[in-house]
Amino acid sequence: MPQDIAPAGLPAQARRWLMPLLVAVWIGGCAAGLWILWDWDNRPGVSAQARAQWPADSALGRERGRPTLVMLVHPQCTCSRASLSELAELLARATPRPKTFVLFLKPAAFADGWEQTALWRTAAGLPGVTVIRDVEGREAARFGAATSGQTFLYDARGGLLFSGGITGARAHAGDNAGRQAVVTLLNGTGGPAAPRTSVFGCSLFDRGGRRTF
Amino acid sequence: MSSERRAAELFAHYRQDIYTRTDRLFAGLMVLQWIAGIVFAVWVSPLAWSGATSRTHLHVWAAVILGGLIALFPATLALVRPGVPATRYTIAAAQMLMGALLIHLTGGRIETHFHVFGSLAFLAFYRDWRVLVPATIVVAADHFLRGLFWPQSVYGALVASQWRWVEHAAWVFFEDIFLVVSCLRSVAEMRQRAERTAALEQEVRIRQQAERGASLTAAVGLALTRGTESQVMFQECAEALVAHLDGAFAGIWTLDESEAWLEPLAAAGANRPAGGTGPRTRVGEGTIGAIARDRAPRLACGADVDRGEDGRDWTRCEGVAAFAGYPLLLHGKLIGVLAVFAHQEFSPPALDALAAVADGVALGIDRTRAEREVARYTRDLEQAHDLQRQHAEQLSTLVDQLRVTQKQAEAATRAKSDFLASMSHELRTPLNAIILYSELLQEEAADRAQTESIPDLQRIQGSGKHLLELINGILDLSKIEAGKMTLSLEQIDVKSMVAEVFDTLGPILRQKNNTVTVRCSPDLDLMYADLMKTRQILVNLLSNAAKFTRDGAITLEVSPVTFDGTPAVAFTIADTGVGMTADQTARIFDPFTQADVTTTRKYGGTGLGLAIVSRFCQLMGGRVSVQSAPGQGSRFTVLLPILVLDAAGEPTAAA
Repeated sequence: MPQDIAPAGLPAQARRWLMPLLVAVWIGGCAAGLWILWDWDNRPGVSAQARAQWPADSALGRERGRPTLVMLVHPQCTCSRASLSELAELLARATPRPKTFVLFLKPAAFADGWEQTALWRTAAGLPGVTVIRDVEGREAARFGAATSGQTFLYDARGGLLFSGGITGARAHAGDNAGRQAVVTLLNGTGGPAAPRTSVFGCSLFDRGGRRTF
Repeated sequence: MSSERRAAELFAHYRQDIYTRTDRLFAGLMVLQWIAGIVFAVWVSPLAWSGATSRTHLHVWAAVILGGLIALFPATLALVRPGVPATRYTIAAAQMLMGALLIHLTGGRIETHFHVFGSLAFLAFYRDWRVLVPATIVVAADHFLRGLFWPQSVYGALVASQWRWVEHAAWVFFEDIFLVVSCLRSVAEMRQRAERTAALEQEVRIRQQAERGASLTAAVGLALTRGTESQVMFQECAEALVAHLDGAFAGIWTLDESEAWLEPLAAAGANRPAGGTGPRTRVGEGTIGAIARDRAPRLACGADVDRGEDGRDWTRCEGVAAFAGYPLLLHGKLIGVLAVFAHQEFSPPALDALAAVADGVALGIDRTRAEREVARYTRDLEQAHDLQRQHAEQLSTLVDQLRVTQKQAEAATRAKSDFLASMSHELRTPLNAIILYSELLQEEAADRAQTESIPDLQRIQGSGKHLLELINGILDLSKIEAGKMTLSLEQIDVKSMVAEVFDTLGPILRQKNNTVTVRCSPDLDLMYADLMKTRQILVNLLSNAAKFTRDGAITLEVSPVTFDGTPAVAFTIADTGVGMTADQTARIFDPFTQADVTTTRKYGGTGLGLAIVSRFCQLMGGRVSVQSAPGQGSRFTVLLPILVLDAAGEPTAAA
């Protein structure tokens, strides 16, 4: 015989309504929690102040004659795992394949090697991808990036084709508008419907855009 | 309990057991998923970064707080209220919410979506397709809301159709179809298992009840056959009823001689009166009395059990659930009542056994009564036997005395006969001389004309002849009684013999002015007998007829008859004389007996003639009888076999 969950001291009417009330509260709590989680996952980071042309002061060597893709990544941002995954998917589908740089933030406050996380190794493992340590985020600043996973696509002449994220939500891999736009641009099958997409990831800089490194 | 009811009970039990066990399984699973979510979040995304600064990642907090909220409430319900529908429906919803959380924590990996389908399959462990409903609703609501607010996070597109959630929910529903079918089949199998188990239990129960009934019958039969004292015997029967029928009380009553009261014979069980069998019951009163009055069994169970006027609190205290009472009938006659109050309902085999026990107890009561009667008769018989033995001893003594007396009497008779035979012989010789000389003296007196002496001489001669006749009679009788009289059998011409007798007796027969008639059947010719004795029979009877008839008629008829199955000759001598009374005819064939004492004086004779006739008839295997009435004459009938046999049983050779 199942025990009554209600305390024995409660009036009969209260006991009758206690269980539905508890269930309702529980459902409400769960819904609220999921709502918060979903909202956070889908809340994009700070968009980049992208340059229309390849930054002239960039240390990166743009290859003339073919598009160049640059992704800025915070090495400790777990959300960016999805960005690298989408990058791999993107590179697999793109023809021609762009010259690709993945820059990992390396604050000066941290020792060398701090940036060589699993993300670094994942990026380094991608064919045709050049992984570069971005000490104190100088390159990120040059490109105007503020959020990990920020991706830029420049055409062969250095003109900006795309700026944004290539994931649909924070840490969520899968089909998304950013990746689709980049692939389309690279394959030349049409102009992007949304040349700028939201970026989901950790902030490359401290709050308020203040550089801490 | 019927098999269907038991099957439904078992089915409900199985189902409830599965609900309970699966609830507890999910309770553990919920906690496990919660912990796994926390571990995964801490391992994969422990921190969220802003440049060089970090903080705990929201996923960690979500895993801890939201995961705990999702998991602990249904887990608590599963432990506190296992098996309740609300618990498993909450668990179903929680499992899907946990899936949503884990999918988030894993970054929406497609592999983690298998958690949804695995959870649905896991929920099918309940065998209750209804739990799939809240689970499916949660999945559909998740897709609907995310599609509505964050379509990119779920569909990978910034803009998606408002019905796209239906497509995703349809895949879940697709799995639901198979799981619902699986649940329904599983439930059907569970029901079949319950029905088979119930049927098996029913069979086992019936077999056990039959065995209990058989053991009850055997126990009662043993008590009835082994018992020697009726009180102990029936007490054992009552105790066997209580023991084998889960009885609260069992009693046996017998009908008293007035047939108005039932006397308690034996009682066993909880309500047995201390130190006895309880008060007697009037026929017709109460349940027991009603059974005796109606001579019909009474059965009741549950609320129908008669609690009596006093409420019979003991029946409630003892948990009496059924009652059965049977009249004890023997050849349709009521001799008592047997009743049992039991803790559980009687099964059909138990009732059959109870009816058989009632018959057995009735026979047992009858047997004990018969044994008491036999014992009483045996005592009476032994007393009578003792008395008879005393009488037999006395009789034996008397027989011995009688035998001695008889031997003495026979010896005396033989001595008397010998004496009479010898004395008669010695007397006849001088007597013949007296008769002969008296006749010669009469002739001489007649010749000498001395007529005055002739009457005296005639008296002497008459007295002498009378004496000779008497002596001859005594002699014949003595010979017969002494066993010395023999037959001289020869072939006799009946008609000639009859004619000869009439020639001899003709004057005597007619001297009192009587008419004499002789009728001899023409069918008669010869017979084989003792001529002298036959003729003596006829002479004696005709002489008697002549002696007691005056101015009347004397008739002799001779005819063939059958006597004792053999051919015989009937000689019938009838007269119209004085006749005799019945007393006189009864004594007429005894020696020295005449009709009355005056007969000898009035008619003369020795009183031996008819005795000799009777003895001669017996000697030749015949018989003589008489019919007579005073003043109406007498009718003597002599029956003699045509073929008379001697003592050896063979006809003597013709002379």
